[in-house]
Amino acid sequence: MLKNIISSLFVFLQLFLFISNLFGDINLYSHRHYESDKILFKEFTKKTGIKINVIKGSADQLIQRLVSEGKNSPADVLLTVDAGRLERAKSLGVLQPVNSKILEKNVPLQMRDKENYWFGLTVRARVIVYSKDRVEPKELSTYEDLADLKWKGRIAVRSSNNIYNQSLLASIIAANGSEKALRWAKGLRKNMARSPRGSDRDQARVVASGLADIAIMNTYYLGIMENSKDKADQEVVSQLSVFFPNQNDRGTHINVSGAGVTSSSRNKEESIKFIEFLTDKKSQETLAGVNYEYPLKMKKNKSKLLKRWGEFKADDLQLSILGEKNTEAVKIFDTAGWE
Amino acid sequence: MISFITCITIFIPIAIVALQFNNFSENWEHIQNTVLSNYIFSTLFLVSGTALLSLFIGVLSAWLVACCEFPGRRIFEWALIFPLTIPTYIAAYSYYDLLEMFTPLMIWVRFNISSSFMMNLNDTMVYLVAILVLTSVLFPYVYLSTRASFLMQGNKLIEAAQILGHPPKTVFWRVALPMARPAIIAGLSLVIMETLNDYGAVEYFGIPTFTVGIFRSWLGMNDIGSALKLSSYLMFFVFFVLFIEKYFRGKAKYHQINDSEKTYRLNKLNNKNSIFAIIFCTIPILLGFIIPVLRLTFWASSVDLSFFDTNFIKVILNSIGLATISSLFIVIISTFLIFTSNYFQSKVIKFSNKIIILGYSIPGAVVAIGILLVSGQINTFTGFILTGSLISLIFAYLIRFLAVAWQPIDSGMEKNCNQINQASRTLGNSTLKSFLKLNLPLLKKPIIVAALLIFIDIFKELPLTLILRPFNFDTLATLTYDLNSQAQLNESSIPALLIILVTLMPIIFLNRQLDQRS
Repeated sequence: MLKNIISSLFVFLQLFLFISNLFGDINLYSHRHYESDKILFKEFTKKTGIKINVIKGSADQLIQRLVSEGKNSPADVLLTVDAGRLERAKSLGVLQPVNSKILEKNVPLQMRDKENYWFGLTVRARVIVYSKDRVEPKELSTYEDLADLKWKGRIAVRSSNNIYNQSLLASIIAANGSEKALRWAKGLRKNMARSPRGSDRDQARVVASGLADIAIMNTYYLGIMENSKDKADQEVVSQLSVFFPNQNDRGTHINVSGAGVTSSSRNKEESIKFIEFLTDKKSQETLAGVNYEYPLKMKKNKSKLLKRWGEFKADDLQLSILGEKNTEAVKIFDTAGWE
Repeated sequence: MISFITCITIFIPIAIVALQFNNFSENWEHIQNTVLSNYIFSTLFLVSGTALLSLFIGVLSAWLVACCEFPGRRIFEWALIFPLTIPTYIAAYSYYDLLEMFTPLMIWVRFNISSSFMMNLNDTMVYLVAILVLTSVLFPYVYLSTRASFLMQGNKLIEAAQILGHPPKTVFWRVALPMARPAIIAGLSLVIMETLNDYGAVEYFGIPTFTVGIFRSWLGMNDIGSALKLSSYLMFFVFFVLFIEKYFRGKAKYHQINDSEKTYRLNKLNNKNSIFAIIFCTIPILLGFIIPVLRLTFWASSVDLSFFDTNFIKVILNSIGLATISSLFIVIISTFLIFTSNYFQSKVIKFSNKIIILGYSIPGAVVAIGILLVSGQINTFTGFILTGSLISLIFAYLIRFLAVAWQPIDSGMEKNCNQINQASRTLGNSTLKSFLKLNLPLLKKPIIVAALLIFIDIFKELPLTLILRPFNFDTLATLTYDLNSQAQLNESSIPALLIILVTLMPIIFLNRQLDQRS
């Protein structure tokens, strides 16, 4: 009897999503958890009359869900982070291509899938963060240089489990080939002050504590920490500076958060409208601003923090490649012993 | 007949995972060549360290509390159980900065000895700290079972040894300890299984155990094949542990309900030894309960009141509702299974029952993946989505926690109902009548104990729930994990404290139940 109650509850939920789908509502699977997003979505509803049901989850689990749910999935749009992951979603068959002149105009070619399966929405860079007291900017140059012995025991970086690192390695594979990438990963692992653990923010704290001198992390975490209510975090950031690597060759590694229409979507038109909405100027300001990221038109950002860091040359690698090389990157990490 | 079908249903996911042992995928070779030995080594090191330390603390504290007299003994008796309310991942979060405290030492080492030495030292420290943290909340398993053994089974023998004039040391090493060996091993196997099952703590400390490898293969590499293969390795390792346990346990039962009163004399400790005893018993309680709770409370106090919104209330209700419904469901099923096995005295049922109990030994992550596989198959064939539904989650709980209900209800049935059932059958009563009118009233207490035990376990459960939970469905456990993953340490301490608070009450109640028997 209990089983009956439970299964009817479940059926009810499915029914609800199904019915709301019938009315043209959109079911959004998103990894983001910001209050400002809710306001943004309400605006969309006001403008178009299309309601948005947000279902939150962690980025990887969202994709796994879509795979498990298959063609019966109630999801319309997937909003997740990292081009590698978006490519993975595409290769797993959970996204479908769309035709939209607006999206092609608003999203630079580099930052979307060439076949239009997914579109970047905000941009972040993976940079070197260094201790103001112990490192001179002139000692820093490229990512590749980090494998040099002079950095032995001085680097803090998170686990290779994390897709940001996987994508960084993918970009290095694309630039230098697998063999050099493996040597780089091995060298950098040997230079770590401790075995990789914790988040990007933890790496910053390790540098501030003096255990390491440089860290690799995403730009937006610094913004978050600097504006954190926690005084300790602000203290950490005040001891660090940002360095954009590879300015004299290909440029600093960048990545995107992005969205795509799911292959099981029953509201393709509405979903496309929604993603287009997210790429227009005003939405871009909210989406990127609240998380200290760069908007798609990077030079047009209005954030004081980002302006302080100044402009930088970004790697113009087609971001889909990050996904294509992802499996290879994970294997290289394993072989290099970078946990 | 029905029970047989039920057993088969429960057995299938276990079997599927076991079969993966022979599965060979291309990625597996890569894993074998690179990280597998890492997983094996890390897991073995972590498990042995935790087991040994738990052994030491659990046995010694049980001896002190059960067989010696010193001031405060009565308080320690139940206080030593409190760390059980703290799940391993919450213990890890509450000690998140323990390793950072060693930073000055590490920096000194880097500059005065060498970088390499510092890095090796750092890595070792991580394992040691993880072992300490895990032990602080898992040792009560050894403590409880050992204490029960001293109080119930060792009873008469200890008394005899004392009467014969043996000094306490001899009584301990040559009488009490050997007698308690089955119980100690039972407690240790629980510690080992919980360590293997843990995901939150080892991920936090960056220790690459099998469970971490399973999550990484599945989520990070989308390689379900390798995740399953790792799961099957893990499962067979656990079976091995259980086999060893059964071998050492022999025929002695773990939960023996013995009504005899404690008859032996307590050793009165002199002042010096009393102080030692007090300190020794205080440290685990301090590390395993008091410090985490204090820290969590301190962090929680800085959280904005807006945190307590409707969503949070929903999460609380989810946790309580899920645990309640699941424990009732599981208790009903296990009572049914035990009853049919006892009533009909069928060897087939007894055998199939023994197999499904193995579910407890399988780490939550493995059970979850097994269920995912099965649901995926069902989805392909019928288009009915089971994944991400409460059905598969509750079913997974059934597989995992059936054994928890088993022990108390089975013992209760054996003790109270066997002969009555035989008599009832002879007299020609219908099965249902026997069940409802005879067995159920007698089994009330064991059933309540079983339900509470399962409730506590489900309330604290993390890895399985993480994988199988429906969308927009959070439990306090998953919320703690998620908030922590988003580096919201302060906010995560609130659901964490709630978990501890809610599980505290059943644990105190259960302890009273166990005490009443001694």
